Amino acid sequence: MLSYIIRRILLLFPTLIGITMLVFFVMALSPGSVTDSLQETEANMRPEERQRVEAYLQKRYGLGDPLIVQYGRWLNRMSPVGFKETDEGFPAGFGVGFKVPDLGESFIRRRPVLDVILEALPITLLLNLITIPIVYIIAITSGIWAARKRGQAFDVASGVTLLALYSMPEIWIGVLLLGVFASRDYFQFFPTSGTHDVLASQMAFLPSFLDGAFQRGWLLDMMWHLALPVLVLTYGSFAFLSKLMRASILENLTADYARTARAKGLAENVVLFRHVLSNSLLPLITVAASILPGLLGGAVIVESIFGLNGMGGLMLEAIKRKDQELILSQTFVVGLIGLGSLIIADICYAIADPRVSYE
Amino acid sequence: MSNLALPNASVAPVGAPTDTVPRSWIASVAFRTVGQVGARVGLVWIGVIAFCAVFSPLLTNSYPLLVKMNDQWSSPLARHMTAVDWTLLFMSAVGLVLLLFRSVPLLKRTLILLGLGAIMLTVLLVTLDPIRTKVYDEYRTYHRSGAVQWSLHVPIPYSPSDRLRDQFDASRPHPWAPSTDHWMGTDNNGSDILSNMIHGCRIAMSVGFISTGLALVIGIFVGAMMGYFAGVVDLVGMRLVEIFSAIPRLYLLLAFVAFYDRNIYIIMAIIGITGWVGDARFVRAEFLKLRNLDFVHAAIAAGLPLRSVLFRHILPNALAPLLVSASFGVASAILAESTLSFLGLGLIDEPSWGRLLDQARAGGGGFRWWLATFPGIAIFLTVLAYNLIGESLRDALDPKIISRH
Repeated sequence: MLSYIIRRILLLFPTLIGITMLVFFVMALSPGSVTDSLQETEANMRPEERQRVEAYLQKRYGLGDPLIVQYGRWLNRMSPVGFKETDEGFPAGFGVGFKVPDLGESFIRRRPVLDVILEALPITLLLNLITIPIVYIIAITSGIWAARKRGQAFDVASGVTLLALYSMPEIWIGVLLLGVFASRDYFQFFPTSGTHDVLASQMAFLPSFLDGAFQRGWLLDMMWHLALPVLVLTYGSFAFLSKLMRASILENLTADYARTARAKGLAENVVLFRHVLSNSLLPLITVAASILPGLLGGAVIVESIFGLNGMGGLMLEAIKRKDQELILSQTFVVGLIGLGSLIIADICYAIADPRVSYE
Repeated sequence: MSNLALPNASVAPVGAPTDTVPRSWIASVAFRTVGQVGARVGLVWIGVIAFCAVFSPLLTNSYPLLVKMNDQWSSPLARHMTAVDWTLLFMSAVGLVLLLFRSVPLLKRTLILLGLGAIMLTVLLVTLDPIRTKVYDEYRTYHRSGAVQWSLHVPIPYSPSDRLRDQFDASRPHPWAPSTDHWMGTDNNGSDILSNMIHGCRIAMSVGFISTGLALVIGIFVGAMMGYFAGVVDLVGMRLVEIFSAIPRLYLLLAFVAFYDRNIYIIMAIIGITGWVGDARFVRAEFLKLRNLDFVHAAIAAGLPLRSVLFRHILPNALAPLLVSASFGVASAILAESTLSFLGLGLIDEPSWGRLLDQARAGGGGFRWWLATFPGIAIFLTVLAYNLIGESLRDALDPKIISRH
């Protein structure tokens, strides 16, 4: 077990390098290569500003160098461990040490990319952290219910509904919900954008009655703002998970150990909840890893529709205004989070299912 | 085992010939698939979409089909058809004829059809001189001045990029809600939604099939290498798979779109390049199972080249789950294209369902229901259709379910 986990973690590094290579070469091999997109944006800026940009690119990528050297320079700056680098050249010396990763400078925000991302990341993570438990609770409950009532009306109805839900594009549902429940033409139940009211910083944390009037407070305000985005993120994932859960329970219910449990006289509920359930949860652990990247991708859509300033909104802004450093770093950071979730899911799976071995 | 009654299991239609007639494995899978309600519904809807895709210029067009002017007959519509339009019409005609030749194997007929289509397309691309500037108002002006003696229009007399049509009516700014003139309303620029929807079928169909095909090719190749050679190749390949599954697909698509030109081929290519991971996993698992079986050893011992061992002997045994994943793959490719278009990063100035959906949100919190409803339902039904077919295929291939018949 321990050796499995260690090998799994060691294998993380080639993947990490791979992600950086993919991200870098997508940019570097494009028709505009490293410089073009930036210069296009900054076509109408002042000469001294342009000189600064060119100097920045020269320093960061070494524009005259072959691609692989450019990649090396870039990687060295991106990583928290690396060679020291001076203005004269790279590598300046063999001093290797820890440093703050340098993700470059965002030209649309005129600030370091790391700061911009660290501002946007919590909003996206918050969306996902609210969504994941809801998804799992609904999926497990409805999966169990459908498996118990297999072949009956509930099972058939839920099977059809879930497939339909799974096929509904998030862009459509998002626009519909926004258009019907947060528009001036129909119902104005929910706000159209943002995570908080303008006055949220002056609110108390919890709802309260002040001077006889109801104050919704910071927490409720946030929930009110995030209700629709979370709903859009939730429905597609739980449809998929719920089908998986049902299939897994059905498979385990016909397994030999379940028959043994029934043979020794256990009630069907005990068989289901004490023996079958825990085994049926195994596939959901592996799938958890693929849920998170999916949710992060879905967050782009949700953030664009509901006007949230998370990673997705930032990414779209960066693409529309051609901020190359921001695009690269965001793809990299999101890949990093996705990779983290893959590893955690693998390790959880190894802990939950002792039969797993490396080979 | 017998109490495992799955509700969506395949049920052979009553009165259908049972397995007394010997049937090839592929035919029996196809038979079991089509036997299910879900697959039928899906196939019907995809048939509708395919029909719209092939005949879109003949269904909606601003140019009249036939015009009589100065006692001369002409067809402005035919003059404005592109090489692709003609090729699709030609291929559907050839396809219908080929359906009659039942004695020729299906594969051969498909190859003949594709070959003829390719020849036709090349010839037309070389010979046909495309009309670059389209003046939709040309014939309307003639019409108003009375020069047109007789004209025949196609059912929906609007082209998707025909925007200046109603400009004289300045009192009502676009978009318009559905009316008798525009059955599904108009968009921000004044183009007809129904015509956009019908022309959008072509992009949905082509992106779905071509990018899934590309994903399948990459997936099969990488998966076969990993599964057959195992060891180091597998280790390296799995890292590649991990890279592509760690970065969310939409982010990868966005990163590609940001740096490359946006034309239909690049969009297809990037959707394919980001979608092969699932196929590779499937193929790898199958190849790992099969590589030590006797028939593989026999093929190697017979001195067959690696290509033959991999793709002619092992791969056919692993094709079944691939069909299922290809069906789901088409659904997700269509979804990916419409999402990109929705975010304003898809094709420029091409009719696309996603782009229409984007216009449903008006500034200041307004909402145009017709721009959300029709394209949204089209995307939903198409994705649902492919998912239904995928589910039915999976059931048809599941040995547990087959054994009960």
